[in-house]
Amino acid sequence: MSIFKENVIANQNETLLFLLMFIMFSFIVTGIAADGVAKSFSGFLELQLRPARLVSDFVSDQGIGASLINAAAVGITGLILILVAKVQLSGATFAALLTMMGFALFGKTPVNILPIIFGVYLAGKLVGKTFSQYLIIALFATALGPLVSTVTVEMGLTGFSAIAVGTGAGIITGFLLPAIAVSVLHFHQGYSLYNIGLTCGFFALFAAAFFRASGYEFQGLMLWHTSNSPILTYMVPVLSVILIGTGIFTAGKNSWKDLVAIQKHTGRLPSDFMDLESVGGSLINAGLMGLFGSLYIIVIGGDFNGPTIGGLLTIIGFGAFGTHLRNSWPVVAGVVIASLVFGKSLTAPGVLLAAIFCTTLGPVAGAFGVVAGFIAGFIHLVLVHQTGSWQGGMNLYNNGFAGGLTATLMVSMIAWYRSKNTSFK
Amino acid sequence: MKRKDLILHLIGEISSFLLESDPRRLVISLHQEENGLHLCVLDENPHTEEELKEIDEALNSKKRPELAGYYGSMTGHDMLGSSRLNLLGWQVKHCDVSSIGSGIKIDIWLGGDAFQNEQFTIPKNR
Repeated sequence: MSIFKENVIANQNETLLFLLMFIMFSFIVTGIAADGVAKSFSGFLELQLRPARLVSDFVSDQGIGASLINAAAVGITGLILILVAKVQLSGATFAALLTMMGFALFGKTPVNILPIIFGVYLAGKLVGKTFSQYLIIALFATALGPLVSTVTVEMGLTGFSAIAVGTGAGIITGFLLPAIAVSVLHFHQGYSLYNIGLTCGFFALFAAAFFRASGYEFQGLMLWHTSNSPILTYMVPVLSVILIGTGIFTAGKNSWKDLVAIQKHTGRLPSDFMDLESVGGSLINAGLMGLFGSLYIIVIGGDFNGPTIGGLLTIIGFGAFGTHLRNSWPVVAGVVIASLVFGKSLTAPGVLLAAIFCTTLGPVAGAFGVVAGFIAGFIHLVLVHQTGSWQGGMNLYNNGFAGGLTATLMVSMIAWYRSKNTSFK
Repeated sequence: MKRKDLILHLIGEISSFLLESDPRRLVISLHQEENGLHLCVLDENPHTEEELKEIDEALNSKKRPELAGYYGSMTGHDMLGSSRLNLLGWQVKHCDVSSIGSGIKIDIWLGGDAFQNEQFTIPKNR
């Protein structure tokens, strides 16, 4: 690799590190400004002891300050792991960190993610992989944080035994996930971006079955903040504008060209737009995803709260790793039309989250066209309403679970159809 | 993953790439040692300089252990869609892409930490 290219990568790393640290710092400052130091930090501590299953909006539970500090803490944990593993900051790690921070507004906490990360590390040790090779799995696998919380605080255990059993459950979970993650990639061939969503959903099916067999009943949770505040409403649009500004500053006169080039990629895993095109173009794309996502919520009159902001942060992150406006709109259209056909409100929590997270199926539209993307979105909405209860709400990436299953169905059908006329004359 | 499976997936991905342009002939040559291997693939289709450059860049991209360790498992498993040489590029030691007569020659060297250049026909300046 040339010295010029090495310098470009070093600059990319510096830009992203500064940007990510700025986002995390902004979360802390905004949180304290919203609720004050004492309330924010006491709320943050309270959040560590919540079951955190779907849907547990931390904003509704402990307020804006505690939620933003929790998100920053989870993000800092992820960033430290990336730096320790000496992995380059890129589209994949950018997506992982923003996803972690987003889901820390409604489920992830530093306490419930660490045992899972340690379990992934142990799995790597067993098969002779370095932690850097399993880093992406470790970061995304934190979707099963609520499994740790559920075992620790909801199963009737107390004191040290609760902590020990909960931590043990998290380590075992993390230990088993890499094997599943690699296998389920082949199910959908990379056409669902949230592969760990399918991985964790698959695992959580078994975990939930064991919990139910042992007599545990999952109580439905629906904490959903409804009163919009200016901080919650403008947080993502402001962040998006900052990302677009940074992108234009970084890419300079190539901004438009790189952005257009990104729209031409299918988005199929792994599509690291920062490598394939440029950091600047990827940040502009990420910012546009955030702006259009926010605009959608405003237009339909939806709520800005922990889960929806978490969703917006996730699509911003994946704006550097597979999602763009061109491959997203057909899938979102499919979800919207399906909700109208089945008489569901666009502002209902499940539908609203599906409209944001369905962009996991963007590569279906990117590779097979608008109609395929629309059908995928339509199926996704129907399925995602069922998958949450199957897995007891312990897998935070429920849309990733449903999206992975939908992509598997679509890929199977398309591959089967394309197998016609393969014999020789 | 057993070495045999790894080799099969490598051959699958690179040959899938070359078969997309429907060559009349495709030659695959493999040389294995304990610590590494050399895979050479040739076809007889014409390729432009720009194509050669793109292939070279994809196969000699920066090593990405975090992507190779996870998404690298998709190498040679493509059921749908075009092949992706960057999946290979993240994993290999070195690649050479050259034009030979009417076709292309792609040399790929892969190995562990104990990989020894002199056991293979790697050009001296690599």
